[in-house]
Formats: sequence, C-alpha cells, structure tokens
Amino acid sequence: MVMSAKQVQQFVLRYLDATNCHLIEKSPGHVIVKLSPQADRELTNRPYYWGFVDRTGTEPETMKFCFIFDKDKMPPLPPDPPPGPGYIAHRLLKEEVTYGSRRLDQFFQAAKAGGSYVNLFELPNAEQKSSNFSTPYEQWLGVNMKIEFACDMKREEIHALGISMVTGDIIEQFCDNMLTRKMSPRLPANVHVLRSALTLTKARNQLESYIEKKIRTYDDEWAVEAKIRFDDEIARIDSYYEGLLKTEDDEIKKSVEEQYANRKQELTWQYEPRIRISVMNCGFFHLRSVAKQ
Amino acid sequence: MSINSATTSRSKQPSAPIEFDRTWFSELEERTAKNGPWDDFTLFALNYEAEQSQVVSTFDELQCLTQLNNLSPLPHQIETATKVLHEMRGRAILADEVGLGKTIEAGLILKEYLVRGLARKVLILVPASLVLQWVRELNQKFGIAAVAQKKEYTWHYDVVVASMDTAKRDPHKDLLLQNEYDMLIIDEAHKLKNKKTTNYQFITQLRKKYCLLLTATPIQNDLSELYNLITLLKPGQLGGVSDFAANFIVDKRLPKNEDQLQSELSKVMIRNRRSDGNIGFTKRFVKNVPLTLSDEEMALYNGVTAFVKDRYNELNGDMSSMLSLVTLQREVCSSRDAVFLTLINLSKKMPEDSPIHAKIWELVNMIRQIKANTKAEKALELIEEMNDKVIIFTEYRQTQDYLLNFFRSKNMVAVPYRGGMNRGKKDWMMDLFRNRAQVMIATEAGGEGINLQFCHNMINFDLPWNPMRVEQRIGRVHRLGQMNDVKIYNLSTSGTIEEHILNLLHEKINLFELVIGQLDVILERMEKQDSLEKRLYKMMLESKSDEDIRANVESIGKSFQDIAKTVADNEPFIQDAPQEEAQ
Repeated sequence: MVMSAKQVQQFVLRYLDATNCHLIEKSPGHVIVKLSPQADRELTNRPYYWGFVDRTGTEPETMKFCFIFDKDKMPPLPPDPPPGPGYIAHRLLKEEVTYGSRRLDQFFQAAKAGGSYVNLFELPNAEQKSSNFSTPYEQWLGVNMKIEFACDMKREEIHALGISMVTGDIIEQFCDNMLTRKMSPRLPANVHVLRSALTLTKARNQLESYIEKKIRTYDDEWAVEAKIRFDDEIARIDSYYEGLLKTEDDEIKKSVEEQYANRKQELTWQYEPRIRISVMNCGFFHLRSVAKQ
Repeated sequence: MSINSATTSRSKQPSAPIEFDRTWFSELEERTAKNGPWDDFTLFALNYEAEQSQVVSTFDELQCLTQLNNLSPLPHQIETATKVLHEMRGRAILADEVGLGKTIEAGLILKEYLVRGLARKVLILVPASLVLQWVRELNQKFGIAAVAQKKEYTWHYDVVVASMDTAKRDPHKDLLLQNEYDMLIIDEAHKLKNKKTTNYQFITQLRKKYCLLLTATPIQNDLSELYNLITLLKPGQLGGVSDFAANFIVDKRLPKNEDQLQSELSKVMIRNRRSDGNIGFTKRFVKNVPLTLSDEEMALYNGVTAFVKDRYNELNGDMSSMLSLVTLQREVCSSRDAVFLTLINLSKKMPEDSPIHAKIWELVNMIRQIKANTKAEKALELIEEMNDKVIIFTEYRQTQDYLLNFFRSKNMVAVPYRGGMNRGKKDWMMDLFRNRAQVMIATEAGGEGINLQFCHNMINFDLPWNPMRVEQRIGRVHRLGQMNDVKIYNLSTSGTIEEHILNLLHEKINLFELVIGQLDVILERMEKQDSLEKRLYKMMLESKSDEDIRANVESIGKSFQDIAKTVADNEPFIQDAPQEEAQ
C-alpha cells in the first residue's frame, strides 16, 4: 500500500516528534527542523563526526534541514546566502521527501533502528484509577511477521500475531489493535502482572506452528508452476551440456563440467520456490487482563 | 550475525519449504534477560507502517512505478520491463533500436527486483565512456544508489557500474568470479559476439541470477553471433551448436525455418522499433538551403581549392599531411575565420624560405577582401523568420566564435556549447538556452547531456562528412519526448564540395529523412578497408573535375544502398514473433 504525500508528511512529522527534534518552521507543504542527536545519527550519515563526539565528549552540533512535502503548499523560503566563506554552513539544506525517495527510505530505516523491540504497559482507565484493588495485567507477546513467497518472482504478506503468555490464545491483527491504545513504557501504579504460563520459546513455537498451518492452507500453484519452469530450464541446459561433455579432451571436459554445475546452481537460485518467514518487530504488551482468574 | 533457522516440512510432498528466520528471537531473549533497552512505541508503530507500505502483495503487479519521481517511462518501456519480468524471468536481450531507451528498460527491471528484494548485489558492465552516465541515470532517474568502480574496495558496494575492460583484468577478475551476482547487466553486448574472446569467457564464468544484455545490433555479420549471445543467457535455447547450424542456418547470413527461429528468439529477446507505431516519434522535415557565395568568397574558395590540389600533388599523395589540407577545403565552406587560423598554423610549420609563404599570404589577402559571410547572414534570416528556439551546429570552433560575435552585433542572443566545457558549464549553457537565449551554437553533438527536446529547429551550418556524426546531431533534437515536428535546415554553398557531400548524405544515403536504425552496422561493413570519410577525402583531392566527383559520389552512394539492403534483409528474423495465443 503506497503512502500518499499526506501520509509521507505525517510519517516524517511523527518521527521528528518522537525523536525530540526541534521544529523551527512548519507549513502544510514543508517543515524546517533542527535534528535531535538521535535523529541526526540516523539520518545524516556522519559516522565519523559522531565517533568524534562520542570519543571527545564534545557538545554535538546537529544539522538543520528543510523537508519539502508539497512545493505548492509552502511559503517561499528565504534565499541562500551569497557564495563565499560560511556558505556551506549557513545555507539551508532543502530536500523533497516523496514516496520512493532515498530520504524517505532513510526515515524508514531510522524507524526500524529505533522501533524493533518494545516492552509496554497499557495506561490505566478511569475505572481502574478509582479502584482500590490492584488491577491484574496479562502479558502478550506481539510479533509482526513478514512472509515471503519467492521463486523468480516474489509476493509478501504481513501477519501481526499476538499470543497471550497466560492463556496461549493467539490473535491476528494484534499490532493494529495495540496502536489504538494508550501505552507507557513504565508499569503503572496499582497494577500487578499475572504469572506467565508459557516460556518464551514455547510462545514462539506456537506462533510458528500457527502461521505454518495457515500457510499450508494456501493455494500453492505459484510454487508448482515455478517447479515446472525450473524443470524445463534444467532440461534445456542438460541437453546443451550433454552434447558438450562428449568431448575426449579432459581439460575441456573439466571446464565444461564446471560451467554446467554453475548454470545448474544459478537455476536453483533463480527458480526454486521457497517461503521465508522473518520478524519485522516484536515486543511485550501488558494489557488489562480479560483472562478468567 | 548468524541466521538461526529451522526448516520444517509437512508429511505430504511440500511444494515449497518454509524457513523461519529466528534472529529476532535471540535478540528478544537477550533484552528480556537484561530488562532492556526497550524501543519507543511511536517508532515501533512507524516501523510497522513503513513495512506495510512496502509490502509486495502480488507476484505480478509492477511495484517500481510508484517509486519513480523523476521519470515517466513510456508505454513500450513498461511493456518491455513487464515482459522481461514475467515471461522471460529476468534473463533477456534488450535489442531496441538506438534511442528508444534500453537503459530505461533495464533500469525499470533492476528497480523492480530491488524493490521486491529479489536482487541486492548487482554488477553493471558498460564501455568505459558510459560508466558515469549510467551511474548518474540510475541515481537520478531511479533512485538506485549505484557506484562507479574506482578502487578495489568499490566492488563491495551493492550496485556497481564498471567497464568490462577493468572487470576482466586482474586483480578484479578473481574478486568478481568469487562473487555471486543477483543481477548482471551488460551494455553494448554485441561486443560479446565472439566466443573465443576473454570478454566472453569471463562472462560465462561469472555467476548470476538475472541477466540483461543490451545491444542495438544483435547481429552484425553472422548468425552465430546471435547464437553466442543467447548462449550466455540461456545455453541450449537454440539447441547445441550443431543443432543450431543444422536447423536454422543456410548461409552464415541467411536463416532457415524463420518462423521457428523467430519464436525461439522471442523468448529471450525484445526488439522495439521506431516503426512499430506505438512509439511516439514526431515527423522530421528537411530543407536544403542553397546559397550563392559572393564574388570575393568564391574567389577565396577557388584559391584555396587550387592551393590544396597543388600541395597534394607536390606531396605525392602523402596521406599524413592530407588531413590539414582537407580541413582547409572544408573550412572554406564554413567561415573565413576558420580558414584563416588553419592557414596561419600551416605557415608556421613551413621552413622560412619556402615559396608556400607567398601563396598563403595571397590567400590571406583574399580573406581580407571578404566583407560579409553569406552563410551567417542567411542563418540569421532563417532564425528571425522562424522566431523560435534553434540549435546551430558547426564543425569549427572559429566559426562558432564568429557566429557568436555576429549574432551579438545583430542583437540576437546566442549561447555556445562545446566539448571542452566542463559539466557545470555545459549544464549552465543548457539552462541559458532553455530559459533565456533563442539560439545555441554547438560544435559537439556526441557525448552525454545534450537533451534538446524543448527545441525543434536545427541548422547545419556545415556538415560533418561522417554520417554517424550527422545522425548524432539529429538525435539530440529528434528523440523520444520531442513533442513537435522537427525541422532541419542544411546550408549549402552552390558550386563547392559541400554541395556534393550534401547530395551524398541527403539524396543517396537519405540520412536526414530516414531513420537508419543500423547505420553503424552498414558503415562497419562498408568501411572494411577505408572509412567513408577517408574515401571522401581521397575523392576530393584526386578528382580532376566536378564530373569526376559526381561519378564518385554516385558509386559510394550505390555501395551504401546495396549494403543497407542486405542488412535490412537480415532484419526480419529478429522481428517480434507472432503473438502467442491468448491464454
């Protein structure tokens, strides 16, 4: 699902906010921002500078950027200073951020670097706050999986699964549900976490077998077809190299054999159907328990 | 980082094995044990949303198009990319005629594989002169972080552009052969036609998953060249060597079982042509503008011609000094300024007591008599009439300077463009021409960077004698993206050698009106012994009369037409195959 210009803008603004960047100017079409150290490390590609800051303890000077989302919806920018000493330091770096741009990709990478493993607690609701009793919280393991169905082409699916560490129940679109709730990294007052019945390994195994079972119900025509293509290709090179291998010359024979092996290996690499399941991000979510006590 | 994975299989025959990547799990365990560090919830959400936006949800829908901000590919380019991805499975020869955007097609295919995560390590081999152009196009048009190979460590980048000559040499060669490339792209692949060359053997040894070979001329001389190219991509596609010879070849240039050959070829090769109809080229109009030189100019022309002939005879046909004489003869058709400098340089090279000095001074005096440049005045008249942007090409730097001054004196804004300018200056001139000046005066058509789609008038102030250079000039203006019909004006001075050359290029070779897709092939064959340019030099220097020249031009034209015909006859079997039956 491609992001619209509006969504790109929202994405960037939320990132800048979450990383405590300082907004200097903002319009519906652009934002001028002085990056926070965290954002600067992720976005400006200056490992040597940051290595220097870390070694010497110098106060870092972060960079200023103008990110443009829609040229038609922004006021004119002040002109650059005239070329000369200080030009590089004082000019404003302007960059268009659109879907598919290198810069947005960097924001994506930055979000990945800073958003992979979480441990969160649902904020108390009104009822909970007014209660005199400690509220039981249940730990869930949320795992966002990516499934790649690959041969010479590829298709992907995302599955956001959550498993209760108490009951072992598994829920789909778990992450989407979490995003609608208010969460905090700290354990709220007057809350206790129920004892987990599952070990982490067991939870993982259950999630894996759940997703595997699901995949096995899919139509696997794509893989069957890829296998047919693969067999055809193998037959083609077999016929070609079998002719060449009839040579008496050992040296030639050896090099042909090597070539033949390479070609076969390339075909496997290219066509062999495979399903790969990886995890994009995951974490623990402690929610008001709905489990039977 | 080690990939901690487990492969499981179900009891019945699995059509595809499932592999779990469990790197996440050990990391999670570690953070759990240490109780942190834990990441921010907003970034966690953003990461999830970013992944969702990038998920490739279908096998066949082209994903890369939504990510190209600086490029709108043309329909035939998208069609080609789609066909390579879905039918040819990423191994193909892209054989479009020159100027239809093979690079764009290759870029689309590459981008698609990158976006889908099916390619990461990519090697692009091109002629040395095109390395930077490829790098720039991939970066600017496709947002692909391609790097030009410079040092040994550059090979470690994901997408590297290098010249074939570098790649096949030590120490690079071994490094590349140890690698595996998700994708290999080779530009100007017709250079791989010969199996015995080191280039060919090197490419055979390289390990690659997807592979694109780009060439405008998949067959130059011999059907076996095509066979060799296809063997690089898909060994056995046309059977073994002897099967191929038995099934498809009558004579090395003459195929048999054409339908079958075509259908086999269409599985590995795509060739778009200008004549296909779905490709939007505008029309081209050519006008020759004959001029009569003033008496003073004609006197200079005759003087120079006589001087050149005398010198040539004195030198007994010595070819090495021929070039400056020919130049002189050609310059006199362009401007007196150009002749003047060459004369002065010639004079400097002569011993002091040489009688030549006197003759040169005689010519210089003739130059002094000339008060006006008939061609320049005509050019100005044309420009004022068309009242539209126009590019003027000349072969000579001095003529360029003269024209700049001449136009300035007439309040006509013109900017120069020449080979010696650096990139920044070239870009600047191009901007000035686009936004401020009506006229650009260029001495160079080749090379990268001149895209003149916004201009559709062109004046050939003088003509190169090499047809390829003429075609390059035309190609700058008459290219994909040009929205208007293109008008070409050739200035030609009556009663001079220029008239004959124009006659040859225009009437005999039909260079201006036709698109000669395979001009380079025709010329290569025609020029087995001597280049066309050289033959013209000799003809000019040795001819006794105008009639002589005319007959000579006639015979050169005839031999061009004959070769063009045999090349065209070879074409049918690399045309599109009949459409496959609907599914």
